[in-house]
Amino acid sequence: MKTYLAVITMDIKLALRLRAVIFFNYLFPLIFFFTFATVLKGDSGAMTFVVTMSVTLGVLGSGFFGAGIRAIQERELGILRRYKVTPITPTPLLVGSMVTGWIIFIPYIVLLLLMAHYIYAMPLPQHFFELLAFISLGLIAFRALGLVIASVANTMQEGTILVQLFYFPMLLLSGATFPSEKFPRVMQILHNFIPATYLVQGMKNMMLRGQGMAEKENLLAVVVMLLTILGGGLISMKLFRWEKEEKIRGSAKLWVLAVLAPFFVMGIWNWWRS
Amino acid sequence: MDNEPVIAVRSLQKSYGKVEAVKGIDFQVGSGEVFGLLGPNGAGKTSTIEILEGLRPRTGGDASVLGFDPDRQKERLKDRIGVCLQATNLPAKIRVQEALELFGSFYSRSLGAEQLLKRLQLWEKRAAYYETLSGGQKQRLALALALVNDPQLLFLDEPTTGLDPQIRLEIHGLIEEMKAEKRTVVLTTHYIEEAERLCDRVAIIDEGKIVAMGTPRELQQRSQNRSRIEILCSKPLSADALPQWPDALETQLGEDGRALTVYSSHPARTLVEMVKWLDQGGVELVDVHLKRPTLEDVFVELTGKKLRD
Ligand SMILES: Nc1ncnc2c1ncn2[C@@H]1O[C@H](COP(=O)(O)OP(=O)(O)OP(=O)(O)O)[C@@H](O)[C@H]1O
Ligand SMILES: [Mg+2]
Repeated sequence: MKTYLAVITMDIKLALRLRAVIFFNYLFPLIFFFTFATVLKGDSGAMTFVVTMSVTLGVLGSGFFGAGIRAIQERELGILRRYKVTPITPTPLLVGSMVTGWIIFIPYIVLLLLMAHYIYAMPLPQHFFELLAFISLGLIAFRALGLVIASVANTMQEGTILVQLFYFPMLLLSGATFPSEKFPRVMQILHNFIPATYLVQGMKNMMLRGQGMAEKENLLAVVVMLLTILGGGLISMKLFRWEKEEKIRGSAKLWVLAVLAPFFVMGIWNWWRS
Repeated sequence: MDNEPVIAVRSLQKSYGKVEAVKGIDFQVGSGEVFGLLGPNGAGKTSTIEILEGLRPRTGGDASVLGFDPDRQKERLKDRIGVCLQATNLPAKIRVQEALELFGSFYSRSLGAEQLLKRLQLWEKRAAYYETLSGGQKQRLALALALVNDPQLLFLDEPTTGLDPQIRLEIHGLIEEMKAEKRTVVLTTHYIEEAERLCDRVAIIDEGKIVAMGTPRELQQRSQNRSRIEILCSKPLSADALPQWPDALETQLGEDGRALTVYSSHPARTLVEMVKWLDQGGVELVDVHLKRPTLEDVFVELTGKKLRD
């Protein structure tokens, strides 16, 4: 426990001291938020879309860059080597990364929702705290995914490629940046297979239709995200490497697909239904 | 010294794929001893020491450290030892004191940060970010971190490489303090002076094998007693005219004919004869040096290599 507390407190302090972290977690999504909000002011449906987009940008940034790329950096810089010398195990470091990301992220979400309400007249979601809980799950799930990418990438270059491979499709096809209702048929199908889709869809359900987490559709998303957190956590623990010299075989990259399997099942199910 | 060795290594081997980095070495380290692994780049020092720290798995042989098997009892071993790595880093924005407190929290027992900071002369720097520290300060922090769990056994991998001579002396002082506190220290180095000054015993390691082991003095005496006599003459000599002096093993004359170097097994006797001979020839001595064999000579003799390129 002492170790967990120490790691988490230090992680938070370090994150807040890094300009890049502040930029990608707060400034960058906020700039998007204000730009779109100013244009779409008054239309509460559109405001929901703006909030969803800003949250998703933040979640993806936090997961892939905040957790994934940063973990690779710490390994490449030889920082993890220093930890390896001590009796610490990977668990506190991985849990620390997930918890820290959440603690830094939640104030931003609350700020966003309150601004959307008080400045841009978006109605507050009926189940405010359930929405927060739902977004939190999404954030931790994507951080787990980021950590799995970090644990299967042998170099920063590989890590960056993997991250891009996930980041852009998620941004473009999840419905966070372009309204998925207007997608052509092929993109609709792909849309079902994108993990971020379930986060976006759930948020829209909760903000536009006043749904809570217990609604069947949202509950499925919750289960899938929980599975990702669990699976991602276990896999990144198992494949954890302290030094960049310890290489992992190429086939280990398939583990990323294993973590995404629940989303795949969801995708097939939705495709079949439609 | 206790009877039970703190470290016992038998036929230790380490391969990375086809590269055999450590090819079966044996040694023991007693309690309170400062033991040095001396060798050139790529000799296998880091591989050996990191196996003992529980950081890398061995590929053959046996090792016992503080009674633990470094492969199978990693965590308990790591809790008890202090380590200063050859290549490592800390987060750029961590403060010196925070680093000590963070790493201290990983151990079952730890020393207070204040005490360590004062001892390693980092108290003034306690609030500085890691990225702003000088090389010497970073190294002192690395030593402070190695001491944070108050270990009885320390591993220091090239603790002074790349540091200014001044700072190197400072670090030597710190290692001597550790020794005075009866801690056992294993260090690697490619600085001869460091091994001579700090180590009770030295193992010379080359291409994954121990080629000689003993106290620095014992090793020097192994060097076939080759002392070196260097004389600078007032006027040039002719190489053909030089006689065979008693006990001289090898004679060299510099290009200008004035610098005369003779290796001898009994330097005093040789020197007397040389001075007589020069005097008879009317040659005056500008400068005379007599050099005892150093560990460096032993090293070159045993491996045919220089320690540093
Ligand atoms: N992780 C690794 N993978 C592959 N080869 C390695 C690895 N680590 C070391 N080697 C090789 O093993 C040999 C011994 O390396 P080691 O680092 O143990 O030597 P060293 O004596 O510590 O050298 P130096 O003085 O440069 O630190 C070298 O040939 C090195 O290239
Ligand atoms: Mg080395």
